[in-house]
Amino acid sequence: MEDEKDYALPEFDTGEKDNSRRNFLKQSTLLTAIALTPGTAIKAADMRVDEKIAEAFEKMPVKLEVNGVAHNLSVEPRATLLDILREQLDLTGTKKGCDHGQCGACTVHVDGHRVNSCLTLGVMASGKKITTIEGLAKGDELHPMQEAFLKHDGFQCGYCTPGQIMSAVACIREGHANSEMEIREYMSGNICRCGAYPNIVNAIQEVKEGGHAV
Amino acid sequence: MKLIVSPFTNDTMTNDTMTKGMSRIDGRLKVTGAARYSAEFTPAGMVYAVLVGSTITKGTIRSIDTKAAEKAPGVLAVITHINSPKIAGYRVEPGKQEPAKGTYKLFYNNKILFNGQPIAVVIANTFERAQYAASLVKAQYIADTHQTKLAENTAKAFAPEGDGKKTRGIADAWKTAPVKLEQEYIIPSETHSPMELHAIIAKWDAPDKLTVWTKTQGVQDTQDGIANIFKLPKANIQVNSKFVGGAFGSALQVWPHEVAAILAAQVVKRPVKLVLGRADMFTSVGYRPHTWQKIGIGANADGKLVGITHEANGQTSTYEDFNEGPAGVSHSTYACPNVNTIYKITPLDIGSPTWMRGPGEATGAFALESALDELSYALNIDPIELRIINNAETDPDNGKPFSSKYLKEAYKLGADGIGWSDRKAKPASVTKNGWLEGYGMAVGMFGAYRDKASARAIMMADGTLIIQTAVSDIGPGTGTAMVTIASDIMGIPADKIRFDMGDSSLPQAPSQGGSSTTATVGSAVYQACTDLKENFQKLIGNGGTDKPDYVAVLKKNNLPKLEVTSAVSGGPEMEKYAMYSWSVHFIKVLVHPATGVVKVDKAVCVADSGHIVSPKTARSQIVGGAIGGIGMALMEEVIIDHRYGRLVNNSFADYHLPVNADIPQIEALFVNKPDPYLNPMGAKGMGEIALIGMAAAVANAVFNATGKRIRELPITPDKLVGMENLLES
Amino acid sequence: MKAFQYTRATTQQSAIDAIAKPGTKIIAGGTNLIDLMKRGVIAPDKLVDINQLPLNSISVNKLGHLHIGALALNSAVAEANLVKDLQPLLAMALNAGASPQLRNMATVGGNMMQRTRCAYFYDTTMPCNKREPGSGCGAIGGYNRMHAIFGASDKCIAVHPSDMCVALAALDATVTVSGRKGQRLIPFTEFHRLPGEHPEMDNTLAAGELITGISIPNNNFAKNSYYLKIRDRQSYAFALTSVAAALEISNGTIKQSRLAMGGVAHKPWRLFDAEKALIGKPATEESFKQAAEIAMQGAKAYEYNKFKLKLAPATLVEALKHAAGLV
Repeated sequence: MEDEKDYALPEFDTGEKDNSRRNFLKQSTLLTAIALTPGTAIKAADMRVDEKIAEAFEKMPVKLEVNGVAHNLSVEPRATLLDILREQLDLTGTKKGCDHGQCGACTVHVDGHRVNSCLTLGVMASGKKITTIEGLAKGDELHPMQEAFLKHDGFQCGYCTPGQIMSAVACIREGHANSEMEIREYMSGNICRCGAYPNIVNAIQEVKEGGHAV
Repeated sequence: MKLIVSPFTNDTMTNDTMTKGMSRIDGRLKVTGAARYSAEFTPAGMVYAVLVGSTITKGTIRSIDTKAAEKAPGVLAVITHINSPKIAGYRVEPGKQEPAKGTYKLFYNNKILFNGQPIAVVIANTFERAQYAASLVKAQYIADTHQTKLAENTAKAFAPEGDGKKTRGIADAWKTAPVKLEQEYIIPSETHSPMELHAIIAKWDAPDKLTVWTKTQGVQDTQDGIANIFKLPKANIQVNSKFVGGAFGSALQVWPHEVAAILAAQVVKRPVKLVLGRADMFTSVGYRPHTWQKIGIGANADGKLVGITHEANGQTSTYEDFNEGPAGVSHSTYACPNVNTIYKITPLDIGSPTWMRGPGEATGAFALESALDELSYALNIDPIELRIINNAETDPDNGKPFSSKYLKEAYKLGADGIGWSDRKAKPASVTKNGWLEGYGMAVGMFGAYRDKASARAIMMADGTLIIQTAVSDIGPGTGTAMVTIASDIMGIPADKIRFDMGDSSLPQAPSQGGSSTTATVGSAVYQACTDLKENFQKLIGNGGTDKPDYVAVLKKNNLPKLEVTSAVSGGPEMEKYAMYSWSVHFIKVLVHPATGVVKVDKAVCVADSGHIVSPKTARSQIVGGAIGGIGMALMEEVIIDHRYGRLVNNSFADYHLPVNADIPQIEALFVNKPDPYLNPMGAKGMGEIALIGMAAAVANAVFNATGKRIRELPITPDKLVGMENLLES
Repeated sequence: MKAFQYTRATTQQSAIDAIAKPGTKIIAGGTNLIDLMKRGVIAPDKLVDINQLPLNSISVNKLGHLHIGALALNSAVAEANLVKDLQPLLAMALNAGASPQLRNMATVGGNMMQRTRCAYFYDTTMPCNKREPGSGCGAIGGYNRMHAIFGASDKCIAVHPSDMCVALAALDATVTVSGRKGQRLIPFTEFHRLPGEHPEMDNTLAAGELITGISIPNNNFAKNSYYLKIRDRQSYAFALTSVAAALEISNGTIKQSRLAMGGVAHKPWRLFDAEKALIGKPATEESFKQAAEIAMQGAKAYEYNKFKLKLAPATLVEALKHAAGLV
């Protein structure tokens, strides 16, 4: 265990299914990092009365830097980055379209790389720099890609749009916007049911050819 | 009521004017992520609900174990048919019989009518907990034998009320024609698959007062729907749906998940958010029904049609008769003296279908326009020529004049655009770099309508014009079109106009559907602005001026604002004229002879949809519909394992929508001649015709490329593989 | 998704110790694991995040063997000049898989560990011997359009979904794994296994073993290799059939060849006999068709995947034509 980071929870014996919560709590209270008296917690666990205590133990501290703002959060390991952004940080620009990495609506940049936030656990993104659609513009000044999407009408309903734009910016940064064919291939991880694809390609080409810093 | 005559005249519409046209008024909100969709509000104390679906297809729930779910961390309640509060609107009036059919009733009893039917809803304090607890709900069933396969249940097919058989002239006259053919055409079920998951937040403000944020194409129809189900006064229900992430017909009714969220909020006494999972989207919010069609078509050697017989059999559920009249296209598209159609629906143990972009016509046009293409080869007449020979100058069904029809102009525009003169009539005769090349075209048509609507126009003291109406915008750019209309009439720039919509408390507007929003709501906006301007003229006196200084007039009259609410309705011209929008889709495909891969190489879509109000968004709407049609043609198919009655491709990895790599540049062309009678803008609808006909255009191009006629969609590589010999011959 | 514990391993040994315990899973990119956990197909008690381990290097030794760490991202491998220059087939196969976003997350080791896309495996209400041994196979007698035509058993007809692995199987790669007993090497073609009586086992990794990297021996295929993937849409879809083809051609004659197919078997399907048949033959379509005929020997289709009996050889011939520069 000495090789695992200090915030890691200790091992526990799951035992019988019915007892897992109680055992979990009993074991977890050995953690000194959490300021609860063991007695209270074990008692609560034995009596199965206080789900709030259970909640505290099921969560982990996570540091996320989102659009330049540091957030110290406490999340369940199973919470995805997407759900944390939308449900906890109220950054609803990042969209849930399939929740399985099959549509790209949830695309964000993690340390500068485009990824599907629906398949990223929040705890895995701890300590990383995240950029969402809300962090792309500089104040009132839109990012060139946002301007180009407006100009070329690169969307209709707008739901896949944040993911498309985050992906489009990355597409240019990665060097995959050198031809229409290449853009089409490298934008294929973002589905648009309204069918704005040609307009999206035109927007990306204009930004690329405009030589804007993206 | 006076007859509407559009003041607009024809003006040229090029791709250039379109890209330079007005950008979407809500575009900035959409590109910055600031636009909030239904799931993106957080009323204080909100909790999360997740549905549990049945795992059998037909039968009864013997028992349902919710204990583990109830004990799971954070769970507030589990609702099933056993403990569900009674829903007032489901109650059968004393002395009355339970109706044999009707909308699915949530948690009404222990009957299972389709796989994935909601059998429980779990409410917890976080999404993760609700979702996990939902997996702990276990039901025991008594399963009955189910039927989910259309082809094996045709004996149960029946003619839907009011739309079964229809005959013009002599039935089956095609059989007497010198050149004739009879073929079957099949489309699988397709799902709307909007990118936004259907979602609702329900919040009870008082025991009889409700606010919802929900994905809907019509806030007031949803208000009505909820009022009927929960027996609440309509005025006590506030429905918000300012941004809708696509719908294509899937948000035209109140679905069970919406009822579940409202019920859940009642039980836990807190606002509840319920977002369907993508898998649920395949079973819970309708689909375009799997439909079998047969067309018999015959013509004289000169191409004149003798007769068409069009049979259709589409699936529906056991509890609802869904009728979309797919065979209707055969009555109205061409001047054919003898047409008979026979439409049936077959009840299966599957959830109900619903309207999907181009409902009925999209299905019917695949069959009719494929058959016409087949006939063109049999006659050795160019497919465009064959259509021109049979062009209907008046509505073939009732002899009424068309309010406008510029289909012939559309053929010419499209043929020039795609380079039709390069097409070789002989199939499989052109190869380019090892790929077979082919051209195809097909026509789409859809009725043009104007309905009842109201709009409020308010001129504020600072010169801001506010337009308000309860319409929704599922993507086409309704607000942008409405602001364009208001700007034209009032003579003020678009950036001085605010458009309020998606709120049930605003002036009456119908649901967004059937390509009628611009015609209907646009007319109301037109009327409200015209009336408001008139009121200003009255204040100015002396007949007013053409360009009133609204701010000065308000100031002079010491008014904080001037407002007017105006209503419009369908007019007598709708009785007098046959009103349709038309489209022609032109497609060039490349087909790999060995592997059967089809690539759409070029697409040109021409719309005769009247005067184009908002060029930039109109172009996008045509392009988008075309892409939907390409999806229908090449890849979309809901697949059921009939042994279980369960879907096996209910994900975006397995149900394929087109991706960017599938789509070339698509040219959208507009005839752009105003319809003089439908509405003052001269606009006709275009949402449906953008898609209708496209699947046939692709299939026809594939035939031209390969000589292989695919009559069952989608045209996936497996249906074309192994044509290497075409290159060697 | 069931709640689980999450820890980060900072040394290889701690990761190996951790996974020795039942209910514990390694997480790297997570693109397949989290998907499966959301569906309830896998429900681990504990995840050990190994992304901090120094296993993402891409290097070449003086013999020209390419070594790629297990944690190298799919996108990083596909973009690496070393890979593009020495083993372009691998880069092509990687770029044919998933989406740019997923390739930015998925690792080489994780790609090898991905589970089948069989619908019956994914739907926990359906029978599946791979997910739940003994429950039956839903795909046999069910919807089996995407399924195997080679090497299937009456327990399972699922296919392995990876593109990368098809190229690695063709290129004679070796897998390096570490476990409590130390390190061992597994030939790539022996890493994945056929379903036989135990479809629940996708590969030959022993309990508690961790993939640390792969090596590809030096070869002369860079000039004449091609990865062709046939799918229901042009991108972002799993293969109906795919072929990794590598040729060494001298004066129009084939000196060496490596062939593997994807979308046809429970493992990347190496075509040893077809390879042999090509040696000494002219690099022509005729030779490729003969090889395809040999490749298809023993193929067996099911109700909905009969088309693969035509598509697989067609894909093979086309891939070879591309590799040989005939297209």
